[in-house]
Amino acid sequence: MAQFRLEGTKVLAVTLGGGGDAVKAKNGSMVAYDGEMAFKKMSGGGEGVRGMVTRRITGEQLTVMEVKGQGTCYFADRAADIALVRLSGEKLHVEASNLLCTDGGLRTGTSFTGLRGASQGNGLFTTTVEGTGQAALMSDGPAVLLRVTPHTPLQVDPGAYVAHQGNLRQSFQSGVNFRTLMGEGSGEAFQIRFEGEGVVYVQPSERNTLGGEV
Amino acid sequence: MPFRELSGKLVEARVVPGQRMFSQRGAMVGYTGEVTFTPNMQGGQGGLMSMIGRRVAGEAAPLMTVEGDGTVMFGHGGHHIQVIELDGDTLCVEADRLLAFDGSLQQGTLFLGRDGGVMGMVRGQVSGQGLFTTTLAGKGSAAVMAHGGIIQLPISPGRPVHVDPQAYVAHFGDVRNKLSSALGWRDMVGRGSGEAFQLELSGSGAVFVQASEEKL
Repeated sequence: MAQFRLEGTKVLAVTLGGGGDAVKAKNGSMVAYDGEMAFKKMSGGGEGVRGMVTRRITGEQLTVMEVKGQGTCYFADRAADIALVRLSGEKLHVEASNLLCTDGGLRTGTSFTGLRGASQGNGLFTTTVEGTGQAALMSDGPAVLLRVTPHTPLQVDPGAYVAHQGNLRQSFQSGVNFRTLMGEGSGEAFQIRFEGEGVVYVQPSERNTLGGEV
Repeated sequence: MPFRELSGKLVEARVVPGQRMFSQRGAMVGYTGEVTFTPNMQGGQGGLMSMIGRRVAGEAAPLMTVEGDGTVMFGHGGHHIQVIELDGDTLCVEADRLLAFDGSLQQGTLFLGRDGGVMGMVRGQVSGQGLFTTTLAGKGSAAVMAHGGIIQLPISPGRPVHVDPQAYVAHFGDVRNKLSSALGWRDMVGRGSGEAFQLELSGSGAVFVQASEEKL
């Protein structure tokens, strides 16, 4: 099993024990390694031909490489902050652009997000990670973990959303009104609303989104 | 030890009379006491020949001499700064990554072709180092800039470290480096993993790697 460890806040160190140990990481994100490592781009990133076709159609292009070997491999991407998530059977929803590395034992897939995705500037689909093992998320600035309970729903700026986990329903809400149309909007015209039980990861920065302009 | 890290992006240096310090021109953000900053036309130490050498090598980053009595704070472009202590080792670093260093360190220019011939030159091109790199030797400390945080990886005999050329910052010690390529048919057909070239560092010492694949 690959061991994930943070080296500072911006570098992920993964120790692989050889044998069948493997991790999937964002293409080109390796910064250093010791020992023996082999890097192989994975076709499509999904499971089999079906996954590949899905990815092509959905545009949720997660270009990943498979890293195998023995030693310690260091990953980093554009000085982004990294957060580790340990999964034991749950499902994690994450933006493809925010996923740095996943354990080889985790399955990745694509799910439909509806209108929310379009407002995030990330298309209509998002990536899901399932199984048992660790995953590393990256965010522009250190991500904060916000808890959602049945009594406290959460609204998140689509541009700051990174990932979520748990039994959550998401809906898209808009605050577009007369003022927005007049060009006097507050810049907070759209939000994602999470209801249920779970956690949401939010970054202290906003991607360029459709909603951010109005 | 004249450098003190105030935060990840700001260092404070203690300047005492009779001891010079060099820093990248314009990198001072504040100072206390009586400190003078004089542009250093020669781009560092040594005489006229060293200056010409650096000009030719393209390693002539605009430097200034810092002298006086007081404390100076240095920072540049919001880049992360790492203070590297040298105790008789030789540090190899790109001139534009060098923020400030002790006057007690001997500055030099290293021709990459010397270490590995033609492959050394190819390596320099791939890692963005060019054909030359700056060396600092002796006892003292140097402040080096990088995009994102820096991690230090030890290199020991029999345990070489491979580094992405774009994430390489600096190294010190008795280290040999060579460019290793894992270029396969996959890269030729555009299905590469993005990790086709790596710097392989072996020997004993340490290498500094930044948490990003962007240049400064």
